[in-house]
Amino acid sequence: MRTRRLAPLALLAVGSLALTACGSGGSGDGGDGGGGEALDSLSIMAPYFSTTPPADDDPVGAKLSELAGLDLDMQWVPNAEYGDRTNVVLAGDEIPDVMVIQQKSQGFVQTAEAGGFWDLTEYLASGDYPNLVTENPDVQQASSVNGKVYGVYRARDVVRTSITIRKDWLKNLGLEEPTNTDELMALAKAFTEDDPDGNGKDDTYGMIIPAWGASIGTGSPYDAIETWFGAGNVWKDEGGKLIPSFTTPEWKQALDYEKQLIDNGYVNKDYATMDGSTQWNEPFLNGKGGIIIDVQSRASQLAGLFKDKDPKTYDQFVALQGNIAGPNGDFALPTPGYSGFLAVPKASVQTEEQLKQVLTALNELSSTEGQILENNGIEGDNFTVEDGFVVNDESKQDYTDLVSGSWAQIGTNVAGYEAYKPKPETEYDAELEKERADLQAKDLEKAVFNPGAALVSETYMTNGVQLDQVIADARIQYISGQIDEAGLDAAIAQWKSSGGDAVTAEMNELYGQLG
Amino acid sequence: MTAVVDVEQAGTPAPAAPPAPRRPHRGWARVVRYRWLLVMMLPGILYFLLFRIWPMWGAQIAFKNYVPFLGIQGSEWVGWHHFQEFFSNPDFPRLLGNTLILAALSLFVAFPLTIVLALLLNEVRLSVLKRTVQTLVYIPHFLSWTVVVSLTALLFAIGTGPLSSFLDGLTGTETNYLADPDWFRPLILLQTIWKSTGWGTIIFLAALASVDQEQYEAAVIDGAGRWQRTWHITLPAIRPTIIVMLILQTGEILNTGFEQIYLMSNALNRTVADVFDTYVYFTGIQQGAYSYSTAVGLSKAIVGLVLIFGTNWLAKRFNQQGIF
Amino acid sequence: MATTQTTGTVVPTPTSSPRARRASKPSTQHQRFNTRAGRAFDVVNVVMLVAVGLLALLPFLYVLAGSFATELEITTRPFFLWPREFTTDSYASILSSDAFVRAFVTTVVVTLVGTLVQLALTALMAYPLSKVDLPGRRTIMTVVVFTMVFSAGMIPTFLVVKQLGLLDTYWALILPMAINPFSLIIIKNFFQQLPQELEESAKIDGAHELQILRHVVIPLSKPVLATFALFYAVGIWNDYMSPLLYLNDQDMWTLQMFLRQVTASASLSAQDMGAELPPPAQGIKFAVVIVATIPVLLAYPFLQKHFAKGMLIGSVKG
Repeated sequence: MRTRRLAPLALLAVGSLALTACGSGGSGDGGDGGGGEALDSLSIMAPYFSTTPPADDDPVGAKLSELAGLDLDMQWVPNAEYGDRTNVVLAGDEIPDVMVIQQKSQGFVQTAEAGGFWDLTEYLASGDYPNLVTENPDVQQASSVNGKVYGVYRARDVVRTSITIRKDWLKNLGLEEPTNTDELMALAKAFTEDDPDGNGKDDTYGMIIPAWGASIGTGSPYDAIETWFGAGNVWKDEGGKLIPSFTTPEWKQALDYEKQLIDNGYVNKDYATMDGSTQWNEPFLNGKGGIIIDVQSRASQLAGLFKDKDPKTYDQFVALQGNIAGPNGDFALPTPGYSGFLAVPKASVQTEEQLKQVLTALNELSSTEGQILENNGIEGDNFTVEDGFVVNDESKQDYTDLVSGSWAQIGTNVAGYEAYKPKPETEYDAELEKERADLQAKDLEKAVFNPGAALVSETYMTNGVQLDQVIADARIQYISGQIDEAGLDAAIAQWKSSGGDAVTAEMNELYGQLG
Repeated sequence: MTAVVDVEQAGTPAPAAPPAPRRPHRGWARVVRYRWLLVMMLPGILYFLLFRIWPMWGAQIAFKNYVPFLGIQGSEWVGWHHFQEFFSNPDFPRLLGNTLILAALSLFVAFPLTIVLALLLNEVRLSVLKRTVQTLVYIPHFLSWTVVVSLTALLFAIGTGPLSSFLDGLTGTETNYLADPDWFRPLILLQTIWKSTGWGTIIFLAALASVDQEQYEAAVIDGAGRWQRTWHITLPAIRPTIIVMLILQTGEILNTGFEQIYLMSNALNRTVADVFDTYVYFTGIQQGAYSYSTAVGLSKAIVGLVLIFGTNWLAKRFNQQGIF
Repeated sequence: MATTQTTGTVVPTPTSSPRARRASKPSTQHQRFNTRAGRAFDVVNVVMLVAVGLLALLPFLYVLAGSFATELEITTRPFFLWPREFTTDSYASILSSDAFVRAFVTTVVVTLVGTLVQLALTALMAYPLSKVDLPGRRTIMTVVVFTMVFSAGMIPTFLVVKQLGLLDTYWALILPMAINPFSLIIIKNFFQQLPQELEESAKIDGAHELQILRHVVIPLSKPVLATFALFYAVGIWNDYMSPLLYLNDQDMWTLQMFLRQVTASASLSAQDMGAELPPPAQGIKFAVVIVATIPVLLAYPFLQKHFAKGMLIGSVKG
């Protein structure tokens, strides 16, 4: 190894053409089982969020290897760079046995359709791997590529959309949590005009909306409102045909509602530019704005921040409401329900026997024991269990963070989440947790799933980002008054002519085939 | 044209002292004469062959539908398809316009400011002060665009930012400067100046450091003022550097940089903010469409190359030393 | 040739110490600027430059203050230069990890070695190219310019690095970027402007080309070489894409990769069912900026002292 590293320097110092010295080598160890023999280790490429990835001799890794019956050879990649790395790995010849695929990108879909990944549909349906049988077939279908399941999806909460409200403001004004969009508008008005903080100054507004990426159907406050109005979720099934949600009259109705919020000054003035990742909490925390439409975790996060401010009174500021009814019915906006999937490349897993070995290992990794290791860590070491909840050892918090930021990423939980949840510290925390769970159960019944989630249109693959941007920009331009209704129609027409019509046609063809 | 160049450049040293007249060396004799210099260059040539030329075979993916899994050889050949797609895009003229305007602002405003700052720094007598200021102005170079953009957002926050409040006071209306299309370019320019002017001076200061102090002293004796010294000694001394930087900058005209523009753009200013680099990001890189982004990269490179050669030729025409 | 030749008196670097030279300089400068208008200009100039310097410094000071502030303070106070409540938590969470120390040492070593290698390769190529009638010069320069405007892209370069067996070696962070075409061109042009007489006389004395480069050309080009040493060093220091692509072994990772990971934001929507990852604290982001910037900022004054050393050379034509 040492000489290998020095070789290039020597090469350059001499300035000779002795290229061959370092030209060979690099017969890596990635694709074990070059032939058909059984695998003796399982290489997995996965993203991580923790500050550092687990060490090679990580205890959770050792226990998971034992459980899986194969040595886990982990290739950890920082989450932010995962997409780049995926493409480079696919181009090289050291492809791991299992890869976390974060999104159905063009690169992945093309590779899968060219036969680069195992089609797992039949294997997962066979029941041979009980821990990999989904508890939610809709989500598995959504994770597929036109019905073909190329990976074991990583399950996420299906319902997360909610409204977080300043509880103290509600109390000051003697108002209730809104149950429909009209009440929400009235609440935004009251928070803006009726001095909810009682300081005698006109220094508050209703809703806090940040700038959103130029995309549609990504869980923005606008997306939520549009779904509540009955515009569907990205696509809408009308008489067996798929139409884009933004071509429905309900969508326009929702946009007018959003425009009304903006025009009346019920929303922060910098809604088009505010950085949501760093500034969304601030107005809520500082008592400038009182309503946030976002995921439920926002409420817990805000409660945590109020707790940092004052642990005694923090339970008085955050109220949580779920999806609310619109003028055309009662709908809820769900998430896709998954965050990528674990796919098996054929370059490294070449035979069916090897594939079965891999699936058996993944099945074990998804067992209750495996889930606890991946999500909580090692019982008795970094955590203990109390009343069915996990209590983390504070002195080993770093290790707990490492586990949840890395090993949890290879957990699929498709057959249900079996690991321990954290023990709420206070009664209020427990209450908030319970409210979240109740809202999830209630909203799931009225959730509007994207009927086109599984379908991959070729035109959308190449032009989708740009097409989405046309609509997402037009939406903001319309509600800001930069364009009028004619301008909005022009944008939709532009969407259609620059590829949208082709997308719709392709989607409907695939939709028909899928049944 | 080559002949002109050779004569011009061969003549440049024109030493006053014992002239070592350069005989034209031709063919093998030249190689023999320069053999040691050629050997000296070998590592460099090897570098260019290995790391710059060899990977270029990968550029053929611009003419293919590249799928990483299939490899470059195995991917389908599509000819000029990606180029056609790029040039026939209805947004193409707008992208080109936006890109050129931003490039022009940087070339005609930010670039001269760099020189001015370098000259002003050069006039500072107190070396401690000079060094301190020099170190300070180059700090912004190390702050990422993310930091610069979030600081801009802080300063120009509607209604509350110190600079936006000041401007509002002048105009009497409340404006969201961050979303106003009219303010996009000024803000980008301001950021560019703030972040890169100080760093850009380094190269001119290096050139200025090579100026002979005795010339200044001689000029002082001749009674030359500060302005005359700057005009007749300092500027001519750094002129080659200025010209080379200018030529190299024109080659970068289509590269506005991605991160700054991406972070500063939003739904309301996108009409003026869209440039080639953000477009390629959205259509190509974000979706893993390597063939398409390579085709765009290749097109941009050809334009850059033409501009570099063009301006270089122009510089030669005006008897200036070009880049080669 | 319309260009005027100002052939300054070329004095080979005398043995006088830099200190002695520096000490003598202000007096001559005083003589030459001691008019009333000159002094007025000096005052205005200094005031202006100090203002410019402060303008450059202020945001950095905010980041510095933020790195010592609590999370609550950062989210509730818009702009401040002094934290109300002083805390080193942000630094503790970065600096405490072994991985940080390892990455830091690694990066310093790679940056130093890499800068030397890159600068040496560039100078070795620039010097021959500065000779206008070098055979093949035009072809080589054309190739250099072409590679400056067009790079082959991430995947082909990755495959080459892999084929050369450089994966998982630190050379992969140094060699693929060893010669920056831009730097090469500028350095070449500086060499070209050097007075030929010195080289010619050295040659008459029987000096070898390499000796001329070492004893004549390089000493005369210190300012520009120091500049590009800085450019190269900063390039290696800030590079995170190369380690990401070329180093699989996490023990080898560099500072930028480590720091990026610390600040990589796990947006709420990408989170997990069970444990929820808090978004990285702003304070930590600020601390990361400081930790990543300070070492290179310190490198500058160190290199700056070389800037004054080449100034005895005769000035050059346009």
